[in-house]
Amino acid sequence: MFTIGKLASQTSVSNDTLRYYEQEGLIEPAGKSPAGYRLYDEDSARRIRFIKHAQLCGFTLSEIRELLVLRVRDKACCGDVRTRAIEKKLQIESKICAMKAMSKALDQLIAECANEAQPVEECTIIAALERADIAPPVQ
Amino acid sequence: MKVEIFHTPGCSACAATQDELRRVAFGIVKDLDWQELNVLDELDYAVELGVLTLPSIVIDGKLVFTSMPTAAQLRAALIERTGRDE
Repeated sequence: MFTIGKLASQTSVSNDTLRYYEQEGLIEPAGKSPAGYRLYDEDSARRIRFIKHAQLCGFTLSEIRELLVLRVRDKACCGDVRTRAIEKKLQIESKICAMKAMSKALDQLIAECANEAQPVEECTIIAALERADIAPPVQ
Repeated sequence: MKVEIFHTPGCSACAATQDELRRVAFGIVKDLDWQELNVLDELDYAVELGVLTLPSIVIDGKLVFTSMPTAAQLRAALIERTGRDE
């Protein structure tokens, strides 16, 4: 059993973040010291490593909470987790698509601005952003 | 009319529901084009159609259900599109 400070150094997560995880029900202390300090065990450290890896894969804290529930639910199977992973991939691919469209829109604006020395009031990028009729880029 | 179900294979409960939905759908639209697509094989197409959750059902290119509908819900959606009275 160890204190929040030790848990923080073991998992490279700040004390504040650990308190936030606790508030959000993602971790809970395994007990208390005689002085009343919260104490954590190896399971808390495992959960924090799980949270960090899942965040790297793009999962939000509320999605991670669901995954943590699935992790210990008897009736859950690997397929449940796999479906969530595939849904996350769909969301990421969809964001990539949207960002590519934004990048294309910027290409168009940059190409239209041929003269960098123009005064800002004649800036074609600003003029184009002010226009309401910008056509979406062709996918 | 074309119905496309985007799913992940391996879910036996989903497969049983899909069988029921297929029966209901063909009961309403005889010449229905019914496609069951593994989302991992059709990822780009799924993203293009706006599929973000599984299973999802697309009818004639429009995302209509973002989770498994009941047979009654699918029936209603198909009837609405055929313009047929119940």
